[in-house]
Amino acid sequence: MAVPLRYNARNLIVRWRSTLATVLGIALVVAVYVMVMALERGLRNTYVTTGDENNLLVLRRGSTSETSSQVTHNDHRRIKYLDGIARNDRGEPMASAEIIILIYLDRVDQSGGANVLLRGMGPMGLELRPKIKLVEGRMVRPGMHECVVSKKIAARFANCRVGDTFRAGKFFWKVVGIFDASKTAFDSEIWVDADEAREAFNRDFYGSVLIRPVDDAIGSLLAQRESWSKKLKELKEADRDATAAKLAEVEQAIGRTLVGRIEADRQLQVRVLSERSYYEEQTRTGMPIWIMGWFLSTIMSIGAAFSAMNTMYAAIGRRTREIGTLRVLGFKRREIYACFMLESILIAVVGGIVGCLLSLPLNGIATGTFSWTTFSEVAFEFRITPELLGKGMVFALVMGVVGALLPARLAARKPVLDALRAV
Amino acid sequence: MTIPGFILRNALRNKRRMVLTVLSVTLSLFLFCTLQTALRELTNPATSEDAALRVVVRHKVSLGNVLPEKYQSKIGRVPGVLYCSKFTWFGGTYIDEKNFFPQFGCEADKLFQIFTESRIDSKQLEDFIRERTACVVGIKTMERFGWRIGDKITLVGTLWPVDLELTIRGVYYEGIDETNLFFHHDYMDELMGKKGLVGTFWIRAASAEAIPGMIRQIDALFKNTDAETKTETERAFQLGFVSMFGNIKMLIGSISTVIVFTMILVTASTMSMAIRERSRELAILKAVGFDGKQVFGLILAESFGLAMVGGLLGCFGAWALFSNVDIYKLSQGFFIKFDVTPHIISYGLLIAAVLGVSSCIVPALASIRTSVVEGLKTLD
Repeated sequence: MAVPLRYNARNLIVRWRSTLATVLGIALVVAVYVMVMALERGLRNTYVTTGDENNLLVLRRGSTSETSSQVTHNDHRRIKYLDGIARNDRGEPMASAEIIILIYLDRVDQSGGANVLLRGMGPMGLELRPKIKLVEGRMVRPGMHECVVSKKIAARFANCRVGDTFRAGKFFWKVVGIFDASKTAFDSEIWVDADEAREAFNRDFYGSVLIRPVDDAIGSLLAQRESWSKKLKELKEADRDATAAKLAEVEQAIGRTLVGRIEADRQLQVRVLSERSYYEEQTRTGMPIWIMGWFLSTIMSIGAAFSAMNTMYAAIGRRTREIGTLRVLGFKRREIYACFMLESILIAVVGGIVGCLLSLPLNGIATGTFSWTTFSEVAFEFRITPELLGKGMVFALVMGVVGALLPARLAARKPVLDALRAV
Repeated sequence: MTIPGFILRNALRNKRRMVLTVLSVTLSLFLFCTLQTALRELTNPATSEDAALRVVVRHKVSLGNVLPEKYQSKIGRVPGVLYCSKFTWFGGTYIDEKNFFPQFGCEADKLFQIFTESRIDSKQLEDFIRERTACVVGIKTMERFGWRIGDKITLVGTLWPVDLELTIRGVYYEGIDETNLFFHHDYMDELMGKKGLVGTFWIRAASAEAIPGMIRQIDALFKNTDAETKTETERAFQLGFVSMFGNIKMLIGSISTVIVFTMILVTASTMSMAIRERSRELAILKAVGFDGKQVFGLILAESFGLAMVGGLLGCFGAWALFSNVDIYKLSQGFFIKFDVTPHIISYGLLIAAVLGVSSCIVPALASIRTSVVEGLKTLD
């Protein structure tokens, strides 16, 4: 028969001061862990949901980001009228030549400013991004120097509400609409007409072309190509053959599609990526946060485990006579061990729950950080998932178990007679 | 037995508890110092007295836009400008994207006139100036890739559509960020077909007093042109980057606060445990003639001592660790120096001191207030 759980619970309540301190210690560690990881999750989620798996992004060969790529007017025309590009219900090809320009805007609260992405896009831009909805006003009309801004930008930066104007490049831009980018990276952008943007900033080229192919399978083929070639880079010379063969197979399949035709075209010095993997690649922006999260919570949890250990040792020291009594009543050593282990786990579970509850209010709060890929601010939300809370609880449990390992052993090994004699 | 001896004995009576308490203080202060150092590194770019004389001209819209080369001669004529060099971010890839380090095109003969605090061998500098495809590299990056003078490297352009093939002709120390690589601006411009595009202009001013007027004059020169400029001191330019990190500062700040708070809580709980189990002894002490103040002093000294030992271990542990580990390599170039400054250490020790005092006050006062008879009666 095991020692009743009620015995542990009552003990915890009797010495409520040290119980409370340990519970809070564990709770704070769990809270810090969940909060920092929620930050990283939010950032990752932003990038993962941004790209549409049906869209392809055409960049200049060799460039890694839209900001540094160049595509000419002729390239755009050539790509747009290729066979295999989807057409909308009005029969127009679904392709949008786009250009990204960094502009510097002041924040609403006058705490300095930040770089923001201004995206010039063709008339098909919005239609190619079905996740994004206008929530206020209307889309821009070419030739009027108008812009639409995301909800997050409207809230964070000065002069970005409908009806406001701000200056960037040669023109004053009038805000005519606000869009909800449903937590994608477009939440950190301002959209204008592509040709107006080129004029305003003296650019000869577009940055990229976003297209929708008729064939839906292309996206997954491109994703395979990315993952195989990444794998190939990590392998040693000798082990490369099998992977290289698979890569060649995928390349061949791609060669027969629209992408193959674009990439083989000598007049177009471009490469094609799936929009989805282009944005997924940017999740590495969150790496420093992820490392910080692990570093902090590991060291803090060791500290918290020490405090749990201290509490358990004290509890056992004070209850030496009780332990003796329990043994005389017939409880075995391993039951005593389990009893104290359980007591520590109980503290940890309560601590874990409190920690999770402490972190919950952060869920959905918007924040922003600096992305080195685009050199601009990316807005995102803290994202606390059930999985993350689960991990927080596991963290708490580990602290509880580690904290009780040695003290519980000490308790179980006490000789009965000595224990009974103790004052 | 002497009084200090008595305090020491008391602190050591439960060695396990003492070790655990000291260690948890150590860990907390180690974390505190690490976070503060990281925060300092992110928000407080390295500056020197010379930096006060440096001024940066960039495109008004943002750093992502370029200026025409012809601005240079006009800027050069503004009173107070001693030297002015083209300065363009290349952002190329060396073999793999993971090997990121900053690369700039500049004018070789002016570079070390503007960044006067950097040291370079004069022979190496001459070689660099003479050869079009030469470059100089900071010691940190040299060591990171194990480069030697005379090595040839290729930087693949990601921002600019050209690849640079460079020969390392010199190493510089101190001053400018020791991770940079500098090459000839003209070489890059030539590869691109003499487009005459410049990212920024860096200026060394004749005196600090001349700077405000100079900034106004330069910006006025290019007002209402296609490419208006924004001129600011190096410090303001760097802080502009910091502001883009957004509320990372607040995040790290609040985590530090949580850590300090947790630590006080845990240590206070341990201290009160140690004192409560001694109520009987304290009563005996009072019975043999120690007054309340003396007993309080004994407890305070013990608690303060434990906290300070933990504090010293934690703060100097962080200092010793980070000055012996190559953080630059470890963080893949994210952190450069990671100096635990005396300021941060003393801040950490102050926290340890406050912790030592505050954690014993409540339990100590409580046991002093109990009368001798009450205290003697307690069993545990």
